[in-house]
Amino acid sequence: MSFPPSPVAPALPLTFQPLPYSSLQGRAGFSGFPSPAQDYEPRTLDLNTRLIKNPTQTFYLTAAGDSMEGWGIFDGDLLIVDRSIKPRLGHILVAMLEEEVLIKRYALYRGTPHLCSAHPHYPPLPLKNTDCQLWGVVRAVIHEYLR
Amino acid sequence: MIGLVDANNFYVSCERVFDPFLEGKPVGVMSNNDGCIIARSAEMKAMGIPMGIPSFKLESLRKRGEIYLKSSNYELYGDMSARLCQLLRDACPAVSPYSIDEMFIYLEEFSDKQCLTLGEWLRRRIRRHLGLPVCVGLAPTHTLAKLANHLAKTSPHYQGVCLLQAQSATTMALLKQTPVGSVWGIGRRLAERLAVNKIYTAWDLHEADLKQLRKRFSVVLARTALELRGTPCLHMNDLGQPRHRIMTSRSFGQPTGAKEEVHDALRRHAQRSAEKLRQQRSLTRAVMIFLNTNRHRRDQPQYYPHAMIPLPAPSDDTRTILEAVRQGLEQVYRPGYRFMKAGVMLLDLVDAEQHQLSLLSPPPRNRHPHLMATLDDINQRMGQGTISFGMTNADAAWQLRCAHRSKRYTTRWDELMQAGTHPGAIRECALRKQPLT
Ligand SMILES: [Mg+2]
Repeated sequence: MSFPPSPVAPALPLTFQPLPYSSLQGRAGFSGFPSPAQDYEPRTLDLNTRLIKNPTQTFYLTAAGDSMEGWGIFDGDLLIVDRSIKPRLGHILVAMLEEEVLIKRYALYRGTPHLCSAHPHYPPLPLKNTDCQLWGVVRAVIHEYLR
Repeated sequence: MIGLVDANNFYVSCERVFDPFLEGKPVGVMSNNDGCIIARSAEMKAMGIPMGIPSFKLESLRKRGEIYLKSSNYELYGDMSARLCQLLRDACPAVSPYSIDEMFIYLEEFSDKQCLTLGEWLRRRIRRHLGLPVCVGLAPTHTLAKLANHLAKTSPHYQGVCLLQAQSATTMALLKQTPVGSVWGIGRRLAERLAVNKIYTAWDLHEADLKQLRKRFSVVLARTALELRGTPCLHMNDLGQPRHRIMTSRSFGQPTGAKEEVHDALRRHAQRSAEKLRQQRSLTRAVMIFLNTNRHRRDQPQYYPHAMIPLPAPSDDTRTILEAVRQGLEQVYRPGYRFMKAGVMLLDLVDAEQHQLSLLSPPPRNRHPHLMATLDDINQRMGQGTISFGMTNADAAWQLRCAHRSKRYTTRWDELMQAGTHPGAIRECALRKQPLT
C-alpha cells in the first residue's frame, strides 16, 4: 500500500518549527550553573524568535495588490499575522469586510476609526455600521528581493 | 474539576477560518477520494443531509450553489488541532487530547466559579485567536464532563460553557432525560442489554446497585455509574473508544530522543490500534501520530509535534497503518528532544461492511483479511506482539482524489491564504498572473 507522494519535504506546521538545535544545547544541562563553555558557544540568531512572539496564534498570509505600498507592503509579500494581539490605532490589520479578506491600516480619519489604504484610488472605509470583522494583526512583513 | 473542550463541527470550522465566505453557509467535508460526507456544518445538518451520504447524491445541490463541499484537508485539520492543544497547554495545568478536536483539561484545586470563568475565557480566546468555535463541559468526572459538554453544545442557555455539579438538581434532571446509550463508553449493544434489566436512562444507571452491575456486566460499567454520581474513578484510557476514533498512547519508561526507540513505540501502538480497529470491524481513513516532551522539565527543549496522514482508501491493514506512521515520523522527528510520550490515533472510522457496499469507493487494494485475522488470532492466543510486522515497502504512488480540497494554509509555503490590499485586489492579481491566450 502506498501514499500520495509528498511533493514538499516535511509538512511540519510552519509556526511549530523548533528552534535550531545548536541554540538549545547549552540549556539541556542538569545543573543550574551555566557551563563556562556556553559563553563561547556561537548562538544562532533565530528569526522565529524575533518575528513570532506567539507561535500558536501566528499565521502566514500572502499580500495581493498594490494599494498598501505606501506602508511598505507589496504584492506577493509575506505577512506574519498574530491573532492574539488586540488591535490599536496605527496597526496594520487583516480584516473581513463584505466577504473579502483585506489588509488595511486601522486609523482615525476625520475623527472616526477607518480602514485606510496608502493609495489615493482607495478612500478610507468607515468602520461604523459595517459587518467588518478582525482576522488578525500584522506583526511583520517580509519582502524578498531574491526568490 | 475536569473539563472537556470540544470544537464544534471541527473540520468545517477549520475550513471557515481561512475561507470566511463559508461562514453561515451549509458546508460539508468529504472523505478521502471525495466518497461521502464525514463532517457537516450546522446549516447542512438543518437541511436534513445525513452523515455518510455518498457525495454524488449531493452533486446537483452543489452545482446549484445551495451547498458547499470540500475534500478533506487533513494537514490543515491536524495543524489546527495541534494549535488548539497548545493553546490549552499554555492556559491549563494539565491537558490530555482525547481525539482530534476533543481535549480534556484537569483543573484540580479550582473552585466551581474559577472553572466557569476559565471555561468562558478559553472559549472566547480559542474563538478569537484560532477562529474556532468550541464548547466546554466541566464536571467532577470524565463521564459527567462529556455530558456537560453535550449540554453546552445543544442548549443555547449555557452559551457554550456548562458546569455540572455532582448530585445537583440540574445534573439529576439531565441524567433523567439522557438515554443510557448516550453515556460515555456505552455502546448500542450494551444499551440493549441494560434495557432488558430496566436501565433505560443515565439516571437509572446512576441509581443501579453497583454490586449487581459488577456481577452482571462489568467493573467498568459499575465505575461509570459511580462517575455519574460524581466520584472520579475512570481514566481516559479506561473509557470505551468512541466509534469514530481509536487512540493508543503510552509514556516511555525512560524518556528517549532516539528515533528508533520512538519508531518502535509508535509501531507497537499502530499494531495495537489496528487490532482494535479490526475487532470493531471498522476501517480508518486517516492516521495521526503525536509525540510529547516533558513539559515539566523547563530546562529541556520542548516539542509537541503532530502529523496527520490520510490513507488512499479506508483500510484496516496493519501494514498500511505502519507505513502511514513511518511517514508521519519522518515528517516531524527532530533530534535533540527527549520524548516522554508517543501516540497513534486512527480517525474518521467507517464501518467495514457499509464501506464495502458503497459502490463509489475504489476497492480496497492489498487487503489481506485472512492474513490479518490469523495475525490477530495468534497474538490473542500467544500474547500481544507475538507476531508483528517489520518495515513495509511502499508501492507505486496512489493519487488521492481531492478535487475540492482547500489550500493547506498552515503547512505549505505555496498555499498560504491571501489578503487583498483593496476590495477586488485578489481577483485582479489572479487575472494578471494568468497567461494571455
Ligand atoms: Mg467536535
